[in-house]
Amino acid sequence: MSSLKLPDTLPTPDREEVFSAVADVAERSFFAMVDPCDDARFAELSEPHTDWLVATVRFEERTCAGTVSCRLPNVLADRLFDAFSGRDAEEPAPHPEEVRDLVGEFANMVCGAWLTRAANDRTFNLGKPSVGTKPVTGGVAETRTGLMVAIDDMPCQIDVRFYATQPPLASRQG
Amino acid sequence: MRILIVDDSAMMRKMVRRVFALVDLAIDEIFEAGNGAEALEVLEKNDIDVLLTDINMPVMTGTELLREISNKERWAKLRRVIISTDGSAARRDEAAGLDVRWYLEKPFSPEVIRDVLTEVA
Repeated sequence: MSSLKLPDTLPTPDREEVFSAVADVAERSFFAMVDPCDDARFAELSEPHTDWLVATVRFEERTCAGTVSCRLPNVLADRLFDAFSGRDAEEPAPHPEEVRDLVGEFANMVCGAWLTRAANDRTFNLGKPSVGTKPVTGGVAETRTGLMVAIDDMPCQIDVRFYATQPPLASRQG
Repeated sequence: MRILIVDDSAMMRKMVRRVFALVDLAIDEIFEAGNGAEALEVLEKNDIDVLLTDINMPVMTGTELLREISNKERWAKLRRVIISTDGSAARRDEAAGLDVRWYLEKPFSPEVIRDVLTEVA
């Protein structure tokens, strides 16, 4: 596996490494299949969904900082919850906060898996995931990579950003 | 065997607990903590055999927790397992210096936790 060695200047995240991280997380911990999506396919898959969640994880290291965001419909969040927790359909529905926690953990795993691929020789600190209906950003991104995928035929959008200056500490780890 | 799971994600703690239920091991009690500081409180009050900890957590990280533990003789026999999204060589080297023998990288399958626990036990 190739490894992008992060230089002191901000790189553009490698899309293949981001995709590989998402696929690895989805398949190994959530027993879900991931396929690449173009704009048309993503729009088609997104059409039925009105309620979405966005989980954002901040990462930082001595020379760089950034965020990884995962945006997915609530239906997919519920599906991932059931796969991860082993919940049966007959069991009571999970509390919304549990589902948010799960989506945050999903983004956390994607972020960690991608960083391990992109910069294996560096030690990053990851913040507690922020989960809501809108993405959390840390300012103007220097570089950005967006990726659209289908997870079990449901849409998921991944956004990786590097910042020239570190995002605010207050919401980084709470 | 008494086990302490340290992770700021309640879902992750729940998932690890679920795997424990599937493992054919003599587990007496399972404790949970949401960060390193809470874990230290549990360790002070209970005799724990196996510690499974995340790295990136608020208040006190897993690395800080492991440093505290390595400074105390009373926890010298505590078996330490890291469960983290950060599988970098740099982080693994750091863990090795803190007497961590098992390093579980998220994402993982339930079978991987089972195998590690069997070995730890």
